[in-house]
Amino acid sequence: MSITTRLAWRNLWRHGRRTWLTVGAMIFCNTLLIFLISFQFGVYSLMIDSALSVVTGHLQVQHSEYNDDPRLRYSVPYGIALAERLRSETKIEAMAARGTAFALASSEKRSFGIQVMGVQPTFEPLVSTLPGLVKKGRYLNNNSSDEIVIGSVLARNLKVGVGDEITLLGSGRDGSFAAGVATVVGIISSGMNNLDRSIAQVPLDYFQAVFSMGEQISSIVVNVDTLSAVAERKSELTATINEPDLVVLDWDELQPGLQQAIQADLFSAFVMYAVLIVLVSFSVLNTQLMSVLERTREFGVMMALGMRPGSLARLVFLETATMSLLGLAFGCILGAAVATYFQVNGVYIPGMEAAMEQYNLPGELYPQVSIISVMLGPLIVFTGCMVAAIYPAVRLYGLQPVAAMRAV
Amino acid sequence: MADKHSPSAGILATLAWRNLWRNYRRTLIMLTAIVVGVWAMILFSAMMRGMLDEMVQAGLRVLPGEVQVHHPDYQDDPSVVNSMSAPKGKLLQVLNTPPVTAWTTRLKVPGMISSERDNRGVLLLGVDPAGEIALGFDPGDIVQGRFLESADDKGIVIGRKLAERLETRLGKRVVIMSQNPYNDVADRGVRIVGIYRARLQATEELFVYTSRALLQKMLEVEDEISEVAITADNYEHVDAWWRDIDAAAGPDLDTQPWTVLDAYLGSMYEIQGTMNVIIMVIIFIALSFGLVNTLVMAVFERVREIGLMMALGMRPQWIMYQVLLESLMLLSLGLVIGNALATATVLPLESGIDISVVGDGLEMYGMGATLYPTLALEDMLMSTLIVLVLGLLASLIPAWRASRYNPVEALTKT
Amino acid sequence: MSALSCNKLTKTFTQGSQTIKGLDDVSIAIAEGSFVCLSGPSGSGKTTLLNAMGGLDTPDSGEILVGDMRVDQMNKSDLADMRLHNIGFVFQSYNLIPVLTAQENIEFVMQIQGIPADQRSAKSREILAEVGLADHEGRRPAQLSGGQQQRVAVARAIVSNPTLVLADEPTANLDSVTATQLMDLFAELNQSRGITFVIATHDARVMEYCRRLIKMEDGKIISDQEQPGRGANV
Repeated sequence: MSITTRLAWRNLWRHGRRTWLTVGAMIFCNTLLIFLISFQFGVYSLMIDSALSVVTGHLQVQHSEYNDDPRLRYSVPYGIALAERLRSETKIEAMAARGTAFALASSEKRSFGIQVMGVQPTFEPLVSTLPGLVKKGRYLNNNSSDEIVIGSVLARNLKVGVGDEITLLGSGRDGSFAAGVATVVGIISSGMNNLDRSIAQVPLDYFQAVFSMGEQISSIVVNVDTLSAVAERKSELTATINEPDLVVLDWDELQPGLQQAIQADLFSAFVMYAVLIVLVSFSVLNTQLMSVLERTREFGVMMALGMRPGSLARLVFLETATMSLLGLAFGCILGAAVATYFQVNGVYIPGMEAAMEQYNLPGELYPQVSIISVMLGPLIVFTGCMVAAIYPAVRLYGLQPVAAMRAV
Repeated sequence: MADKHSPSAGILATLAWRNLWRNYRRTLIMLTAIVVGVWAMILFSAMMRGMLDEMVQAGLRVLPGEVQVHHPDYQDDPSVVNSMSAPKGKLLQVLNTPPVTAWTTRLKVPGMISSERDNRGVLLLGVDPAGEIALGFDPGDIVQGRFLESADDKGIVIGRKLAERLETRLGKRVVIMSQNPYNDVADRGVRIVGIYRARLQATEELFVYTSRALLQKMLEVEDEISEVAITADNYEHVDAWWRDIDAAAGPDLDTQPWTVLDAYLGSMYEIQGTMNVIIMVIIFIALSFGLVNTLVMAVFERVREIGLMMALGMRPQWIMYQVLLESLMLLSLGLVIGNALATATVLPLESGIDISVVGDGLEMYGMGATLYPTLALEDMLMSTLIVLVLGLLASLIPAWRASRYNPVEALTKT
Repeated sequence: MSALSCNKLTKTFTQGSQTIKGLDDVSIAIAEGSFVCLSGPSGSGKTTLLNAMGGLDTPDSGEILVGDMRVDQMNKSDLADMRLHNIGFVFQSYNLIPVLTAQENIEFVMQIQGIPADQRSAKSREILAEVGLADHEGRRPAQLSGGQQQRVAVARAIVSNPTLVLADEPTANLDSVTATQLMDLFAELNQSRGITFVIATHDARVMEYCRRLIKMEDGKIISDQEQPGRGANV
């Protein structure tokens, strides 16, 4: 250890209590930041996951007009064959073709306007969690039978059960009158009212027949392994398809609200973090300024002995850095421990059930601890603290040895 | 203090105040930290309040009426079957007495609307136009044409987005369809007489206004309604009166305030206060380390002086009061400046901040694209209370330590 | 009746691994109106004895009586009250509260006694004049010379009419002219007001003023004799 390092270390412990209080502020702030940032990451990925895994998927192949104006006529020709080709050429398994149309669904007792989705029973489970949520009856298992699965709230509203018939009325792709009668084979219950009120799925071939779609479909839904692989897969798919009328859209384009909801939340959280960091920096500024002022005489002697102001400033920075490193180390350990604990055990926020449902979230939330979530906050705090040391250090350059030695 | 040996508060105040400015740099730094903290507390709560207010307003704007009365089965099965007759008797009497400022009845059923080009599932609202306006529908939101003019108006008013989706426009005819109580699909061609805009796109796509009489006639339900919507012009105080309506409506009808009708809004509203307090406390804790540190340093520098005062006969608890008073002065000063600064920051923003960059995301939260921060006395008082109470609690440690010095040791400290 | 009496006082300190006897079986009685010096080398126990008498420090064992009050049995608050009303202190240095002016330093004691403002102001001015600092009431300690600071300290010590003034090395930081002036002031106050003075010192100039000289060493009284004090008549 060099003499300056040793000096810095000992100086810190001349006022142990003060040093610990300052380090304590950093530890508090770091722990809080680590927990909150990990928590946010966890919630965001859960939000994205649960929002996308239900219906949307990570990527969709659509007609270029369809996303802005979802009409039957903006469709993908020979969609099922295209999906086959894409599956074999890109080696992406999770890919399913869909048709979507609007229809009036009537049971014997009730009628509701709903969105009907034509799906491929074989592939749909690869891109959506809904097939796994059938609580009564079964999911679709045949590509062309006149069967339908619906959400539990819709079933209640229509007053139908498994085995009952539902009449679908709407207009076909060519504007003709579309009508079909399908038997309810399964009821899906996701626990989320909005979803359970709107789900209605029929086999794709049957859908194409009812809505005069021919070989057309509305979209191909694609799921990839991780969110980070989305961009790469998107360009791969675009290149493979190579059709001017078709586009590959990623989840951000499909559900722009999601990303922006996260950004809005992230922004407001970061303003709060900034305030915390500023407050901790003030604490450091105060401590270091006091420590410099009370040592004016000592610094005078050191300068008289031939030490340059630059070396004294370095000493002050070294002290601050040491203190901040303590805060960083303890804060990271404590913060990571707290966040990991909750990552394992989950966080339950009472009174938030309705709010959670609004964002498609389950009752328990799990922070996601990563190097970034652990280091991001503490490193900014560290930087803030070092910035705070500038003023006390700069003051040293104005020090006159004789005057300083006389100071009390 | 009644004790005849008590010092006048004056001397403690003088000492505390002068001591505060002995090390003015330290005091100013700490003061700045407190000001920033208090400013942030009030700013955040003003933003939160603005956000929440926006959410509730948008939510209530969707279908005005902080309290609504329905057929008990209507919420679960919003069919025309589950309708009721217009209020009468005791309920009518309560509806016409304060605090109720306005009420109206609606026939509200799910249905379909078809243009030449497309069709959509919507919610058909058979309303009394005057009643809707009294309840909060803003005719200024009609961007084309007019709002309905009478309870038997033959026209229809739809949202801007729905018009786009249906590729239709003002003056065109559309067909509305819904189910009547006899399980037949009833339909009727109507002309679009107005197009409205709403804060949320989802609203524009969902709600279709017709006159109540028109819808009743189409569905063959004379005088039947789905809901009574009631307002007292203050959504925050709904708890004070909705039970009176409930009592008057009787057990055969379902009466609910907006906090129950929209569970999401209700719970956001519920937790808002707690969230505010949590944020304030967190900010305070970040602040408290510096505060305690400042006081510890201040006491440490004055050990000899404290010993001297003790030798002169100052009781230990007065030493404690003196340190606490010093802390109180610092905190109060910070609070005054912080509050003033926060007021100066928020007031110009109260006319609204445009945050449409994340508009789609906010729609997910149920908010429009403009944030109106709201300065509330309640929040300012809460932050003041938190800073003072917790601040004095944190100061107790250094203050108590100061009072525990042994005068001889303190006097000889160098 | 004695103004102050101590009976079999002992107190030990530990310094590092050593145990030091600060007071070793000290018994002493001081008559009202007397002018006493405690002398001895540093570490002899004179400051410890003085602090014990004033209730600043508690002995390990033994009795202390100020008037008829058992100082050794009091709690912290009672001790504070006793010091406030019965005893005046003058220390070697750091006698004044830096943020208060000369007059405020004097009023400080009266304020904690709860004396109304109008009386305080008049009395503090009067007493400042008595110690020869009539025009210095608005100055803060840093703006006063060492001698002037000690005079303010004396003024403060006597302002509440204590029966006893305890002074610990009051002249240690003063030049000889100022020291003599301070001792003259003590002697004069002793005579005019009948206040009992106990002064711990190793300054020969101070000892000349005393009428009773108690010498201490290693926590014990080694001699205790009457002498004709300079500048003071009985």
